[in-house]
Amino acid sequence: MKNATLILVFCGLVTSVHAQRFVTREAQISFLSETPLEDIRAESKEASAIFDAASGQLAFQVPILSFHFPKALMEEHFNENYMESEQFPKASFRGAVAGLDPDKEGEQIVSVTGALEMHGVSQERTIEGTMVRDGDGWIVEAQFEVACEDHNIDIPKVVTENIAETIGVTLRAELKLK
Amino acid sequence: MRKTKKALACVLMGVFSSSFCWAQDDLMDFFGEDEGPTVVTSAFKAGRIINVQSPETSGEGEMNFIIAHRFGRLSDGWYDLFGLDNAQMRMGLDYGITDRIQVGVARSTFGKTLEGNLKWRFLEQMKGGGSPVSLTGYSVVMRDGLRLPNDGIERKGVHRMSYVHQLVVTRKWSPEFSLAVIPSLVHRNLVDQPDRPNDVSTMGVGFRYKLNRRMSVNGEYHYLLPRPIEDGLHNSLSLGLDIETGGHVFQLHVTNSRGMFERAFLAETPGRWQDGDLYFGFNINRVFQVRETR
Repeated sequence: MKNATLILVFCGLVTSVHAQRFVTREAQISFLSETPLEDIRAESKEASAIFDAASGQLAFQVPILSFHFPKALMEEHFNENYMESEQFPKASFRGAVAGLDPDKEGEQIVSVTGALEMHGVSQERTIEGTMVRDGDGWIVEAQFEVACEDHNIDIPKVVTENIAETIGVTLRAELKLK
Repeated sequence: MRKTKKALACVLMGVFSSSFCWAQDDLMDFFGEDEGPTVVTSAFKAGRIINVQSPETSGEGEMNFIIAHRFGRLSDGWYDLFGLDNAQMRMGLDYGITDRIQVGVARSTFGKTLEGNLKWRFLEQMKGGGSPVSLTGYSVVMRDGLRLPNDGIERKGVHRMSYVHQLVVTRKWSPEFSLAVIPSLVHRNLVDQPDRPNDVSTMGVGFRYKLNRRMSVNGEYHYLLPRPIEDGLHNSLSLGLDIETGGHVFQLHVTNSRGMFERAFLAETPGRWQDGDLYFGFNINRVFQVRETR
């Protein structure tokens, strides 16, 4: 009988944990290319993110076309010449969160190890960020760098003074219980 | 009793462990749900395929400065350096009021023509549901600026005006290949010869084929109507190469049309390819962001 109770309790736990999914479709991802000649910024507010508390899996996905630039020509070049967004319409990151105590209040520094895929090239990455419990959800923030070369993004010589080889990415998602 | 419990335990474990696995696997399914239709962009590189309008407009707050040169006839040979001695020019400014509505002014040395134009891409091609083509309307008013000849015919200011209205139906079939069908109406308040009609129309096609990320081959052809067309007039055929370098687009081309505004190349092309009546030309498109909007 004891066993049966244990099993039932365990099952109950699994199901309740299973329900712990946090999502958003309005995550913000911005990036900055800094060179002495020119700073180029772009932002998307249409990224999706999901965190599965049970498995500790965190995933982001962003449509490349949703990045907007201050100049229309930059946006065209970004999509046509560098990201080839028709062929590779999305960038994503999926990884396992380490160092998170789900019951702890306040900011926690976590590291997420997984695959960063953009421009058709997947790279194994460990990205550091913070997670804060926020009522019914989580706020996830991170800053990391992406080297264009790692993802086969070709920067021609004539524009190397205008476009940085390594792009700084900033991300913020307010995840709500699904 | 004990056995039943064990069996029950196994079944329950099985059920929940499988649901647990499922929970991991469908993580990416969440992303699949938001796949709505998306706009297909950049069917062509510049605002013109060669002579004729492409569906592209200046982005919001963008000023596009277009300097176009059209040299003399290649068949003029060494004396005129295959036409390079006789350049015609068109300078134009196109401004994007929104990402889809553009207004422009231009001046051509050909006929000292001044023009004002309006372009509106009122329907976008969509991927994943929606329109299979983009539709762009273009209207241009042209004013002939030549001194009036002293031939006894009374002309008024209104006789200098001509108008062209066209619809650019475009489909980008693949990242490399785009095709446009362009019907046009041309109206001239006054024609230069008494037997010419005031209204003619053309049915045109244009394409772009991308060779790589910076270069493409372009072409366009306009079939002049009504038939039979008059002696001395021909259909316009142009072939070209687009080269993009950062903020510039260079367009090099060979065409049998000399004028670089719509009335001239659609309705008043005097030469033919097979007679060597070919003109080399280029457009330089330079974009300036004059108003930052986003």
